[in-house]
Amino acid sequence: MKYIRHKIEVMKAVALVTYKEWSAYRTHSMVSIFVGPVYFIVQYFIWTAAYGNRTELNGMELSQMITYFGASTLIGYLTMDFADWNLQMLIRTGRFLTFALRPIHHRFFAFSQKVGHRVLGLIFEFIPCYFIFTLLFRIHMVPKHFGWTLLSVALAFLMNFYVHYILGMTAFWFTQSSGIRRVFDLLSGVFSGVFIPLVFFPMGLQKALFFLPFPYMSYVPVMVFTGEFSLAGIQMEIPTIVGLQGIAVAFTILLSEVIYKASIKHFNGVGA
Amino acid sequence: MGNIITVENLIKRYDTYKRGSGFKDSVKSLFHREKVPVMAVNNISFSVKEGDIIGILGPNGAGKSTTIKMLTGTLYPTDGKIEVMGYNPTKDRKTYVHQIGAVFGQKSQLIWDIPPIDGFRMNKAIYGVSDQDYEERIKVMSKLFNVEEYITRPTRVLSLGERMKCEFIMAMLHQPKVVFLDEPTIGLDVIAKQKIREFILEMNKRGTTFILTTHDLEDVEQLARNVVIINHGEKVFDDSIHSLRKVLGAKKIVELTLHSPIDQLDMEGVSILERKNELSITVSVDLDIIAINDFISRLSALCDFTDISIKEMPMETIITHIYQSKKEK
Amino acid sequence: MKIKRYILIYRECVKVAFAAASTYRLNFILNCIIMLIGDILFPLITILIYGSGAGFEGWTVYEVLLIQSVFTMSMAIADMTFHGILWATMGHVRQGDLEMVLILPVDTMFLLMARTFSIDAVGLFIGGLTIFIVALSHIALPTGFMWLQFIVLFLIGLSVMMGIALLMAATSFKWVGNSRIPEIFDSIRSFGKYPQSIFPKAVLMITTLVIPVAMIGYFPATALLGQGDIKMMLILIPCIVFLILGITLYRHMVRLYQGVGG
Repeated sequence: MKYIRHKIEVMKAVALVTYKEWSAYRTHSMVSIFVGPVYFIVQYFIWTAAYGNRTELNGMELSQMITYFGASTLIGYLTMDFADWNLQMLIRTGRFLTFALRPIHHRFFAFSQKVGHRVLGLIFEFIPCYFIFTLLFRIHMVPKHFGWTLLSVALAFLMNFYVHYILGMTAFWFTQSSGIRRVFDLLSGVFSGVFIPLVFFPMGLQKALFFLPFPYMSYVPVMVFTGEFSLAGIQMEIPTIVGLQGIAVAFTILLSEVIYKASIKHFNGVGA
Repeated sequence: MGNIITVENLIKRYDTYKRGSGFKDSVKSLFHREKVPVMAVNNISFSVKEGDIIGILGPNGAGKSTTIKMLTGTLYPTDGKIEVMGYNPTKDRKTYVHQIGAVFGQKSQLIWDIPPIDGFRMNKAIYGVSDQDYEERIKVMSKLFNVEEYITRPTRVLSLGERMKCEFIMAMLHQPKVVFLDEPTIGLDVIAKQKIREFILEMNKRGTTFILTTHDLEDVEQLARNVVIINHGEKVFDDSIHSLRKVLGAKKIVELTLHSPIDQLDMEGVSILERKNELSITVSVDLDIIAINDFISRLSALCDFTDISIKEMPMETIITHIYQSKKEK
Repeated sequence: MKIKRYILIYRECVKVAFAAASTYRLNFILNCIIMLIGDILFPLITILIYGSGAGFEGWTVYEVLLIQSVFTMSMAIADMTFHGILWATMGHVRQGDLEMVLILPVDTMFLLMARTFSIDAVGLFIGGLTIFIVALSHIALPTGFMWLQFIVLFLIGLSVMMGIALLMAATSFKWVGNSRIPEIFDSIRSFGKYPQSIFPKAVLMITTLVIPVAMIGYFPATALLGQGDIKMMLILIPCIVFLILGITLYRHMVRLYQGVGG
């Protein structure tokens, strides 16, 4: 109990400091208030034109599609992550050492940082954009199953964090890890469903996506928001897919732990 | 008092790989690389008494930082034994790091965009320092350093010296028994250096043991009671600061720019070390034989010079002296 | 002989860019490849939409790809020749050392563009060109007159690009160190990537007359499709006005900076 209380204290302190640190750049976050809605408008016209007189495309109705892009934008603000950049920077500059010298697991520290940073995102990106979407654009932005959506977004938050943390750990092994990270960013941009719902991809690819981390980072929570989930022609009940997402997250956490252990051993052995 | 740190036969060996320079060689090295073992630390033993200040001295790349990293548990030794306060730094890392503090000259714990005080609060939570202790320690330490007004300003607007002082406060909030300092005064101006040395002495009086690495002889002379000198990964000296003074003598290095060339300087206790060219020479002055102001007044009688600077003995010279005194024995 | 001197300066800057790229060969090649792939992804949405049996009314998939490939090529040329001014200005303003550029006896705007000449975007151009050729092979062969129209409109589109780049750079004087400025303009530019018929009148007014992003990809492509008419040439006016606006604003901000003295 005391241990958990201490952990919460630490998380609060780190999150607060991160919040303060990035508050100086809150106008950076607020760029989203313009950019998010503008991209949304473009998507709106593209899809309205693409549907024409059709009632559905790949099993999605136009209204679901519009909600999809709105939710995708909003959920992105809550789960966005750059733990990889942070970690590789610490490793490259040697400042990772200052964490090895403190009684804290760096991953826990980084996670707390993300919490602080995303609270900033909630206030300066999510909430303003939510109001623009609902009040100005009159888009119905209420999740069908609030509890499940919340859980799925929380899992996506974790998924994004652990995947990016793993990516950042490559810097322990390679002096130049920016290439790997850029390729990953590219892949995750496409296959997480930010640009287009994954049901538009060829069937084989859709099947493969179940076994990749990308859909669990954005597509799953966004579809859960819209209330219906399907991928590779498989319709799934909401609790089922959220459960599957949970398994994917658990697996990623395990993987990150294994890689962390090996990386630290490498770091302590070689010394950077 | 007993030993707080014991190091026995410490060894750190790296494998580096030979790399060719050309394109052909770099392709070749993708498939086959030749291993080259490097002994960063080679069989070093020493001990530190509780309440001591020990200086680990050596030129760049001698293995000082490697040693201190192994002492802090952030680098695994290849072989040998380290015990600090009864802990094995590698095995007991989590409990161990609670008890130690560290300031690594070039690696900041502070957070660039916000005031140091926020970083302090974060470490307070990480180390689980109570509110009361925290308030009191901040008060005491910021007073010692005269930084009460700086700690609420964003880190990025602080000078290097002010930042360094804040690093010290941040590293010592949890009142560690042992504090490791890696080049703590590097790049600082004279006044800031002095302030930091005073702080170290004061905290030492209150019971903290310090282990510092440096290549600045002045740091060691003003702070340390005992000195370990490392060169090429090997311990070449391990004794009190007094014995080091005996070995080195009280010598200063003087660089002179002359107005016209001279053949020699006829003064007792003064010898020419190096002639860079006709007009610039480096001499060593033995302060046991001739006081520095005597030297200068006699020098101005002997020759015309346009510039003079007095320096501490450089690391390389110290090492040479130590090897020489060993041979004489 | 001002022009000759400027050409010489530019040539030196290009040489430096090549030297830098060859020093960091691996990095350069990787950048090119990533850009090339990233570039193929952008028309992907269009392909997937058409692949699902839907589409934009009155447009075949290759016609839409033609617009997007022209857009990409324009972007690539901009990246190579003048987009660097944004990062250069932003960096100098933040560091407070724009003076180091201002004291040189060369036009500041020109120098910042020349010095940031970058060949990294060559991957982007190759990607754009490939899609362009594929798209061309599926439409009726354009006549020489259509090509002429295309080239004129493409160049005008580039001037819109430059106008946008200068507006961004000018913004960075006020909004110091905000690395997200490009996103703002990227989002506006994205209106130019699609057939304009999908947008309502109000949006069209903006994309052709106010911030004429339709000139970057859409209008040059329609010229190749044989849909060009004389009215399109009228849109040259807002485009040129837009570029002049960008230049004026940028120069104004530089003067303001000099007045304040950093």
